[in-house]
Amino acid sequence: MASRWVRSKSPWLIHFNTGGCNGCDIEFVAAITPRFDIERFGIILQGSPRHADILAVTGPVTLQIADRLKRVYEQMPDPKFVVALGACAVSGSPFKDCYSVHGGVDTVIPVDAYVPGCAPKPEAMIYGIAKLIQKMRGGDKNG
Amino acid sequence: MLAYDLFQLIVFPGALFLFCLAFLYEWVDRKFFAKVQNRYGPLYTGTLGLLQPVADFLKLLYKEDLVPKACDRNIFSSVPIVYVVLPLTTLFIIPISGQTGLVAFNGDLIFVMFIFALMTITVFLAGWSSMSRFSIIGSVRSALQMLSYEIPLGLALIGPAIAAKSLSISSIVQWQSANATWGLWLQPIGFGVFFICMLAELELVPFDIPEADTEIVAGWRTEFSGRKLAMFRLGRDLEIVLASALVTSLFLGGAQPLGLIPPVLVFLVKSLFVVIMLSFARALFARFRIDQMIAGMWKYLLPIAILQIILIQLGLGV
Repeated sequence: MASRWVRSKSPWLIHFNTGGCNGCDIEFVAAITPRFDIERFGIILQGSPRHADILAVTGPVTLQIADRLKRVYEQMPDPKFVVALGACAVSGSPFKDCYSVHGGVDTVIPVDAYVPGCAPKPEAMIYGIAKLIQKMRGGDKNG
Repeated sequence: MLAYDLFQLIVFPGALFLFCLAFLYEWVDRKFFAKVQNRYGPLYTGTLGLLQPVADFLKLLYKEDLVPKACDRNIFSSVPIVYVVLPLTTLFIIPISGQTGLVAFNGDLIFVMFIFALMTITVFLAGWSSMSRFSIIGSVRSALQMLSYEIPLGLALIGPAIAAKSLSISSIVQWQSANATWGLWLQPIGFGVFFICMLAELELVPFDIPEADTEIVAGWRTEFSGRKLAMFRLGRDLEIVLASALVTSLFLGGAQPLGLIPPVLVFLVKSLFVVIMLSFARALFARFRIDQMIAGMWKYLLPIAILQIILIQLGLGV
């Protein structure tokens, strides 16, 4: 119980672009500016996957980056969570069935929360992460 | 008597009190940093986010502890503990609840300088044992930074010792209260040099070259996770407490009783002021380049520190 409370109070993010158009990344960077101030919820952006709890993925997973994405995911210590930000990360959207694209993020690693939109607004991203934090507190996921 | 000694070491001015202080100062630092950037900072964890550093610490304790295959296992697992123990041991020397430290002895100022060098060597070992390219670059940078700030730091520490004619921190504090003055008024240059060297020692923003997160991921801490990272964060918080306690004791009069106000409160107010100054510097400046840091330390800070010693010897600073 205490572990769940503690985990939901200090979710640290790491951001990974799997070959997107940079639109979602700009919105993601906007979401961590002082205007939205997500440090209120204890969220900090970390540089190293070893320090992070939540992997925020943007972009369709290309064939080249699929292995790298898997490796970054495996470098994170358990318990770990994944958010797919934007239409491409959710399903591969306009690039689905493209010769160089693997598909959405959930074709490579398990995803806990999806945020649709092209690109989703910072508010939508924060809402998605807040939903994930609720899930973490409820103990929906083992660990 | 033994029971009281144990109580002092473990509970009141000892370990438990210092851990609480470390978490409190991290909260003050983050909150003030946020205020400078026109935002709230931690808000929903406990009242006003007071429990945020505790939540971060506990979360890291609950996390999986990964040990990379390539690293030197023994050094990798022992270094985080050493990193916590070193500042904690040093804090016992500094007078907090009265005018004498818990284990004050003659020459403890030299011991503090020794511990500062040892902490950088711990950081170096931490990066070196991880065997990751980012960690090694970070640890080499940290050693390079130590070579630059160590000498001005030593000279700035010698200033109050010459004035008080003693190498013990407790007697420097007593000297200041006996002469009804502060080191800050007598040696303003020395205070400035010491403050800048403390920023470099703590690897705070103008000097966060060893863990520059835009260049080398997280520097020497890159490969640490779970419990080990929690220890490093606690060690960093204790280091901030140590730095603010040192500045308070040597330059701001330390734990003086002020009328009916107990010395602990005076000490806390003064060291909180130092912590706020540290986080203000962190919020205002951008990172120096490596060459700017080295050139600045050797070309400007060192002559200024020597000038302060000369002024004291001429009787102008005392």
